[in-house]
Amino acid sequence: MSTPPALLPLQDEKSSGGSHGTPMLRVDELVVEYALGRGRVVHAVSGISFELARGETLGLVGESGSGKSSAARAVMQLPRPTSGRVRLGDTELTALDGRALQRERRRFQMIFQDPIASLNPRRRILDIVADPLAIQGEGSTDERRARVCEMLERVGIDATQALERRPHEFSGGQCQRISIARALILRPELLVCDEPVSALDVSVQAQILNLLEDLRETFGLTMLFISHNLAVVKRVSDRVAVMYLGKVCEIADAETIYRHPAHPYSRLLIEAIPEPDPDRLVARNRIAVAELPSPTAPPSGCRFRTRCPRAEPHCAENEPPLQVVAPGQLAACHFPHARTSQQRASTA
Amino acid sequence: MESLVPAPLLQVIDQHTAFVTSRGLLKAVDGVSLRLERRSTLGIVGESGSGKSILARSIMRLLPPSAVIGDSSRIVLDGHELGSLSERDLRRVRGRRMAIVFQNPMMSLNPVLTIGTQIGETLTHHLRLAKAVARQRSHDLLVAVGLPQPDVRIDQYPHQLSGGMRQRVAIAIALACEPALLIADEPTTALDVTVQAEILDLLQRLQRERDMAMILITHDLGVVAGRTDEVAVMYAGRIVEQAPTRALFRNARMPYTRALLASIPRLDDAGHSRLATIEGRPPDLIHAPRGCSFQPRCPRASDRCVREAPALTRSDGHACACWHPVSGEVRA
Repeated sequence: MSTPPALLPLQDEKSSGGSHGTPMLRVDELVVEYALGRGRVVHAVSGISFELARGETLGLVGESGSGKSSAARAVMQLPRPTSGRVRLGDTELTALDGRALQRERRRFQMIFQDPIASLNPRRRILDIVADPLAIQGEGSTDERRARVCEMLERVGIDATQALERRPHEFSGGQCQRISIARALILRPELLVCDEPVSALDVSVQAQILNLLEDLRETFGLTMLFISHNLAVVKRVSDRVAVMYLGKVCEIADAETIYRHPAHPYSRLLIEAIPEPDPDRLVARNRIAVAELPSPTAPPSGCRFRTRCPRAEPHCAENEPPLQVVAPGQLAACHFPHARTSQQRASTA
Repeated sequence: MESLVPAPLLQVIDQHTAFVTSRGLLKAVDGVSLRLERRSTLGIVGESGSGKSILARSIMRLLPPSAVIGDSSRIVLDGHELGSLSERDLRRVRGRRMAIVFQNPMMSLNPVLTIGTQIGETLTHHLRLAKAVARQRSHDLLVAVGLPQPDVRIDQYPHQLSGGMRQRVAIAIALACEPALLIADEPTTALDVTVQAEILDLLQRLQRERDMAMILITHDLGVVAGRTDEVAVMYAGRIVEQAPTRALFRNARMPYTRALLASIPRLDDAGHSRLATIEGRPPDLIHAPRGCSFQPRCPRASDRCVREAPALTRSDGHACACWHPVSGEVRA
C-alpha cells in the first residue's frame, strides 16, 4: 500500500457512465488520522481511492467507525486529510491554500445528518440560506434575497412564510430542506450528503430522498451519499462503496452489490437489513458477536478477518488488495463470494 | 368482567395520557386499549409523536408528574390494577413482573457503577439474594445476553462498552428478575444494522426461552416484520390498525399503514426511482383535527371522515379505525 504514481488510472474497466474526460471527483490514497494524545492515533481512513464521473452518485456505506463520515469530511477539506489527494475536476483541492480553497468551495457543498443542529438557532432562515452568497460576495442584498426565495421554493419551503423565522419553528424534515437550500444556493457541482435522512421519520425520509433525486436531475449534481442504510443508498446511488475500518472493501454498481456481493462484509450488511416483509427474515450466516475492532489498532492483514466467517490464517498475514472480481466490481478479499452461488437467500 | 376466557397478562383499558403545556393540553395517548396474552409478542409501530413511547411509559407508570391520566384509564397486569398500587408496591411490580429497555442504554445505566454492581443491585433489591449469589447470577445473565468476555466485562463501567454491549447489559438488568412482560422501546434505533440484527435476535430468543410476553416499540416496520405475533400501528395517540403481523403486512387496511409501507426504501427498488410519500405532516396533538386524525393527509377522506372519528373495529382478528378501509393485497 505504498503511494502510487500520481496520475495512475485507477480503474481501467470503469463501470461508471462517463469514463470519458476528467472525473468530477477523484480521491487518491486518502488518509485521515486523529491524534488521541500519548502517541495514540485513530486510523479513521487508511488510504482509500475512488472516482466519481460527472452526474454520478456514489454511495458510501459502513457501520459507525468505518470512516465513511471522516472520508466525506476529508473530501470537503473539513478538516484537510492527513495525506492523499482530492481533485475536483482539474483542481487539486488538497494543494490549494486557505484562501483559494475558500473560493473553490462554491463548487462543493455538504449537508449533514442532524438538520436542526446544523442550522444556527439564533439566525433567520433568510440569513442562514443567504450566507454562502454573502461569504462569496455574490449579489446585492436584494439579489441575495431573491435567490434565497427561489431556492427555498425549489426545496418545498414557502419562502414568504419562512424568511423571517428561526430554525426551531420548523420540523426536522423542513430543516433538512433548508439545509439543502443553503447547500445548493451557490449551484455547486458536487454535493456531499452525510446521513441526510437518518434522523428523519420514514414518511419524511421518503420526501427528502425524492427531493434530492429531483434536485440532482435539475442541477446535474454529482453526489457522494453517505449512509448506514443500504436500502437508502441503493436507491439513490449509481455505484456503492462499502467501507470497513477505514478501508474500502468493495465497490461496484448498486445493483451488483445487492445481487452479488463479493465481500463477506457486504453480504453481512445486506443480510442485516430489516426488511418490512414478514416472509423474508433472512436466515443469516451467524457471525460471531464480535464488535468492530478499535480503529486505533486495526487487525493485521485483512481488517475484517476477526468477524469473517471465511477467514483463514492467510488473511491475518496478507492484506487483500482491492481488485477486480467481475467487470465493474472490485473487492478486497482473498476469498470473495463467487457469483453463481450468490442469489439473495430468503426463507419463506 | 369475569368470563370464561382466561385473563390476559396485560390489559390496557382506554388509556389517556396528556400533558399540560403553555399552548394547551397535549394529548399524547388518546384512548388506547390493548390486551396482551402471556408469551405473546406485540409490535407497536409509529412515527415520532404517535404516542408509542408515552404509551410504554404509561404502562410502566413511569410518567413525569405533569402527566394527566384519564379517569377511566386502567392498566391491569396479572389481574392487578397498577393505578391502585402505592409507589412502593409499584416498584416491586416494575422489575419483577414487568421491565423496560430503552433506546439509549446510557440513560438507564449508572455511569459510575460497574456492570456487575448494577445487575447485582437489581437482584439483591428485588429478590433479596446474597451478594455472592447475586454476582454469580449476574454473570449468568451476561452470558445469557451474549456479552463477550463476561468475566472481564462484569467489573467494567458502561463507558468501556460499545453501544451494542451496553444494550445487552440493559437487557440483562431487565431480565434479572424474570419478568412476565418485557417492553423494548426502540431498543436498536441507536445501533448499527448488524448489531441491531443481533440484538433483535437476542430479544426474540430470550422471549421464547423465558416465556415472556414482549412489546416491541419501533418506528421501523422492518424491525417488527418477522419478529412479532401481532402489530399495532399508532397515529396521533391512537391505535389505527392492529392485526396479526403477516395480515398487517399483506393486507393493511388503513390508508396510513399502506402509505407508511409504501414509503420505506427497499432493496428491490430500481435505482433513482421515487418513493411514495405521505403529503402533509402529522397533526398537532394540542389542536387535533376533527374526525379521523389522518383525514387531512388521506387520499380517501370523505365528509364523514371530517365529521366523525372512526372507532377501532375488529373483523376476522384484524382491527382498523377507518371509514374507508382499503381491501386487497399490499403491493402485489
